[in-house]
Amino acid sequence: MTADGLILQTPFAFATATFQRTPKRPMDEAKFEAFYRKTAGRLWSYIFRMTGNAATADDLLQKTFFRFLRSNPTIADDDHLRHYIFRTATNLVFDHFREIKRHRELAPEAVPGSSPSVDLRHDMMRVFAELKPQERALLWLAHVEGSSHEEIGEAIGVKAKSVRVLLFRARKRLAGILEKRGLTHV
Amino acid sequence: MSDFEPEVDAWMKQFARLDERRGPLPDANTLWVKAKLMQSTIAMERASQPITRVQIAAYLLVAGSWAALVTWKWNALSAWFNSFKPAHIILGAAGASAANSLSLTFFMMLIALASVTVMLAFHTILAEE
Repeated sequence: MTADGLILQTPFAFATATFQRTPKRPMDEAKFEAFYRKTAGRLWSYIFRMTGNAATADDLLQKTFFRFLRSNPTIADDDHLRHYIFRTATNLVFDHFREIKRHRELAPEAVPGSSPSVDLRHDMMRVFAELKPQERALLWLAHVEGSSHEEIGEAIGVKAKSVRVLLFRARKRLAGILEKRGLTHV
Repeated sequence: MSDFEPEVDAWMKQFARLDERRGPLPDANTLWVKAKLMQSTIAMERASQPITRVQIAAYLLVAGSWAALVTWKWNALSAWFNSFKPAHIILGAAGASAANSLSLTFFMMLIALASVTVMLAFHTILAEE
């Protein structure tokens, strides 16, 4: 919408155009900061739970936001942006695992809790690390982020119909691990 | 809903509540500036790609021209170089016969090609700076 267009419109028309049609303007620094403050913590937690390494999570978080900014995000629906950034992070995490596999290192890397000290936090990290990366992503996105099957499907690159089955298997697997470790009532 | 879904859900919620982060998150402004710098670097690289391609093509052309020129007049050139040997000079035949076979056109081409080579080298140095 041009400046001339705004001047010629009545205040009501301007308000309607601004808030109902959600114009697609490029994100400025202030908007990015607000979005970052709202998303970064949750995204870091997700990446950290996926990789099990704080330094890797820091690195991938930065890469995710760089990629996000490179795509010239527009000020649209916040939810849409949030799903987009989680999808980007998921792709980067999967790429990271592929890279590790190529270098023949053990995945997941340096999961906290490899020390003998038995601690709830470390126990939970170890349990989660037993799952496959895709299962971790599925469970986190479904149970923590509350994403729909369609959104999860987009994030991990599978059809929404398959998400239901994959999610069922992931839940079953996690429940099995919890039972095996005697952690069913945490 | 499967039997284990509530259990898994409760476990995941508790797992998500664990705060693992020790230090602060990277600063948003720093990320913004870095991303913008990266974007401009990428844009610059993209903009200079055609120039780089033309430069490579020019280098290949110049190298090819030098090779063609030397091949074309190889016999005359080697005879000319041999004429500078002390034995030749003593006999008093320094370059006389060889110079005859190297035409003015050849020398003009030699000068033109040398100029193009120097210009190309200067262009590369200045472009990098």
